[in-house]
Amino acid sequence: MLTLLRRRAVSSVIPLLFVVLGVFFLARLTGDPANLYLPLSATPEMRAEFAARNGLDDPLITQFGDYLAQVAHLDFGESLRTAQPAGEAVLRAFPATLQLAGWTMLLALAGAVVIGSLAAYRPNSVTDRIATFLSSTAASVPDFWIAIMGVLVFAVTLGWLPTSGTSGAAAWVLPVATLLIRPFGVLVQVVRGAMVSALSAPYVKVARGKGASEVRVVFGHALRNAAAPALTVAGDLAVGLVNGAVVVETIFGWPGIGKLMIDSVLQRDFAVLQAAVLVTALAIFALNILVDLCHALLDPRVRQRAAA
Amino acid sequence: MLDTSEAGGPAVRRRWFALLLRDRFATAAAVVLILVALCAVLGPVYAGDLATRQNLRAPGRPPFGLDHGWAFVLGSDSLGRPVAARLLAAAGTTLAVAVPAVLCSLVIGSVWGMWAGYHGGWRESVSLRVADVILSFPSLLLAVVVLYVFSPSAASLVLVLAVARIPVYLRTARAEAAELRSRLFMDAARTFGTGGWAAIRRHVAPSVLPTLLTVAALDFCFVMLAESSLSFLGIGIQPPDVSWGLMVAQGRQELQSAWWIALFPGLAIVVTTVSATVLASWARLTTDPGQRWREGLGRRSRGLRSDRGSRGDRGSRGDRRSRGDRGRSAAGDAATEEEREEERSVPGSAAGSGARPPGEGTEADVLVVDDLSVDVHTPTGPVHVVRRVSFAVRSGETLALLGESGCGKSMTAHAVAGLLDPVAEVVGGQVRLDGVDLLGLGARARRRLAGPGLAMVFQDALSALNPVHTVGAQLAEPFRIHEGLSRRAARARAVELMERVGIPEARSRAEAYPHQFSGGMRQRLLIATAVALQPKVLIADEPTTALDVTVQAQIMDLLGELRAEQRTALVLITHDLGLAAEHADRVAVMYAGTVVETGPVAEVFGRPHHPYTRGLLASVPAEQHRGARLTSIPGSPPEPGSVPAGCAFRTRCPMARERCATHRPALTGTGAGRAAACHFGKELADA
Ligand code: SF4
Repeated sequence: MLTLLRRRAVSSVIPLLFVVLGVFFLARLTGDPANLYLPLSATPEMRAEFAARNGLDDPLITQFGDYLAQVAHLDFGESLRTAQPAGEAVLRAFPATLQLAGWTMLLALAGAVVIGSLAAYRPNSVTDRIATFLSSTAASVPDFWIAIMGVLVFAVTLGWLPTSGTSGAAAWVLPVATLLIRPFGVLVQVVRGAMVSALSAPYVKVARGKGASEVRVVFGHALRNAAAPALTVAGDLAVGLVNGAVVVETIFGWPGIGKLMIDSVLQRDFAVLQAAVLVTALAIFALNILVDLCHALLDPRVRQRAAA
Repeated sequence: MLDTSEAGGPAVRRRWFALLLRDRFATAAAVVLILVALCAVLGPVYAGDLATRQNLRAPGRPPFGLDHGWAFVLGSDSLGRPVAARLLAAAGTTLAVAVPAVLCSLVIGSVWGMWAGYHGGWRESVSLRVADVILSFPSLLLAVVVLYVFSPSAASLVLVLAVARIPVYLRTARAEAAELRSRLFMDAARTFGTGGWAAIRRHVAPSVLPTLLTVAALDFCFVMLAESSLSFLGIGIQPPDVSWGLMVAQGRQELQSAWWIALFPGLAIVVTTVSATVLASWARLTTDPGQRWREGLGRRSRGLRSDRGSRGDRGSRGDRRSRGDRGRSAAGDAATEEEREEERSVPGSAAGSGARPPGEGTEADVLVVDDLSVDVHTPTGPVHVVRRVSFAVRSGETLALLGESGCGKSMTAHAVAGLLDPVAEVVGGQVRLDGVDLLGLGARARRRLAGPGLAMVFQDALSALNPVHTVGAQLAEPFRIHEGLSRRAARARAVELMERVGIPEARSRAEAYPHQFSGGMRQRLLIATAVALQPKVLIADEPTTALDVTVQAQIMDLLGELRAEQRTALVLITHDLGLAAEHADRVAVMYAGTVVETGPVAEVFGRPHHPYTRGLLASVPAEQHRGARLTSIPGSPPEPGSVPAGCAFRTRCPMARERCATHRPALTGTGAGRAAACHFGKELADA
């Protein structure tokens, strides 16, 4: 397990560094915060004072060095907008996103396993064709449009569900349902493909040759072998969700990390943006390890390779 | 007919087109995409002006009213701008972003990927790292930042989307190119001096391109969705330009009063992306022969069963007797009473090992396969892979089903065991186990017999053992299923079984996984699974092909011991003459889906009654039978889909005459316990 962790860490560290570096410099290319935070009539002296106060007058390299030193002490700087510690703002927004992503992935995976297996059981049957068509539709639907149509039907017209907010179970329905559609569509296709090949594998024939019931064949023998590709794709999809479901968060006023990031860019709130990106990157790192662990749990060959 | 080797040529292209037309879904998708493209080209010309002109006399018109002209059929927004006209104009903008973005990332990504994959080494690893970095960047955030740096416009959208998608093509192209690199022809290309770009252009690009185009079709959806999301968020296409995403955003403001403004552009996006997806998955199905094979499943036909009586060979045979007994095999028809009289007097036949015509179910036969036919469904229609095969086996006897690969012997075995792939289907005949027709049984009754009645040993033990379960659990399964034993008791039986088949330290090894065993040990495990419940019939499908010679012998010995011990009838499927000669009592030689000759193994090999068997044996001296492959006859066997009319062997047969081209020979008795499917079998027997 330690080897696995180490290998993951080594392969993740370079992309992570580049992301942090990229965000730091790119964010500063988007414009001068002074334009937003000072009145148009601000004198050059006021601007210089503002820059000095927020450490924006040093050369970029020095700023980056300072930033790294701060981060090493778990100090993420202060938000330009609210003057609160950036770390706090991020930690407040993050659980909202995580919960949303967690529920979405859970439901999408459960649904995809059932539908995908059903479709794969008889390839090209009517069930399979319907499932394939619906899932490929789901995978290519614009989520922002589905969200708006959901609001139109269930909130505006029928009045069953609230249009925004996070309080109460009803408030979760539309955001989760909207977020769910694409991962669900993609996962159904992946599960179906993996199950089709698992079900045509010789060991499935052997199991049938032993007189195993179809339930036993599908769930005992095929599904666990088909889980690996589904797990990999689910991991990638979860990364997308953790990165911020910006559109859905915007539409439903969900106080998550995606919304925070976009707002920070719009407001030139560099400290918050950097903290948000860093925290998400770490979360994704953890998520990848979780996926690796699941792979090892499911497949003894992966365990052996990890131990070697 | 499943030829997919060349991806060019007008004939191939025409066939693709025909295949496209056959799939109604894909055709519809293609038509939709062409329409969208037309709208995109013509829309801005006709509707560009209407789309932006405000008309304060017609604000917020609901859709489906025709009194204001076609532009207003889908209603208008609060500024009186007609939705239909805006949709058309937006089609142009949307595609003007998506198409260039996809093309850019496709060209850059695939050239880069092929270059990296072709050269390998540091070029490959650096390229992959770059792809990793781009992919691990939160894509929407990247887009937002870049769009702020360059200010949002169609051009910067193209840039952002292209950069974000390059890694996808890079990875795909790299993987395919690296695989090609390892193949022979690339080495050849290198030694002939075509290096670098020339080799990539000539060898790599043509074979990678189909995959990349499929990826591009799917990516088109992604890019369209990304563009509309960004426009929706206000950082993509900017007014007064209009895109579908932007229209949805605008519709959101007026959702309470005018739902149609948000509805129609969203539908336009969905229809376009879904069409692209459908077309992409169709293309993938068509370019992947493995998948295409499965495609024919939807259409089932029962050709053979219905036209059974009208088969030419059957009606034309002069010596056909009317026994009035349905289900008799062709060979059974032909074997005369005299011959069966004779058979009893043949010396040695008293020992029991069937000097008798095949397919003739006698009391002692535990397994009788009678007139069995199997079709495989392909997109071009059913292919008859097994045609009216008959044979029978007694307890304790070994029958070898001998033939070249592709002759249908394995398919026959799977059909008998009830383990055909979904694309294959039994279309005629019977499989009787102790007189009960297995094909007529329900699934549950059939399952009850799988194990104690009939069991099968597979060729490749590694893939036949489930990689994620311990071997102990897999060996215990028959006992759990059929005898309802507890986990513990079943496990104990499994360990006993492992000991019986000669696995050392069985108790601890039961906790190991298949990949931790050697090939020979895995084959032993597989045999153990099959014989766990002492089956009456054991079918062994090339049980030793994957093993080296010493292990082969051990495995065959084990099978022999178990057969004697449990009085099992063994059906040995093999392409190995020597294996059949050494281990079988009787042999059935198969060619192009039919049994061409059958009889006691020593007699058949000593004096073949069929030109095919003769050809097989001619080039192999008797003492070298062992391990000899069946490849000694000039020419190659016909593909299952293109078996010639008349005798299937006639294109390779030295004895072929006129009659062979028109009449298919049936399996006919040629002597004591012997039968051959040749018009001149008797002559060979008597010569
Ligand atoms: S029937 Fe004719 S072609 Fe066929 S094996 Fe006999 S002689 Fe040869």
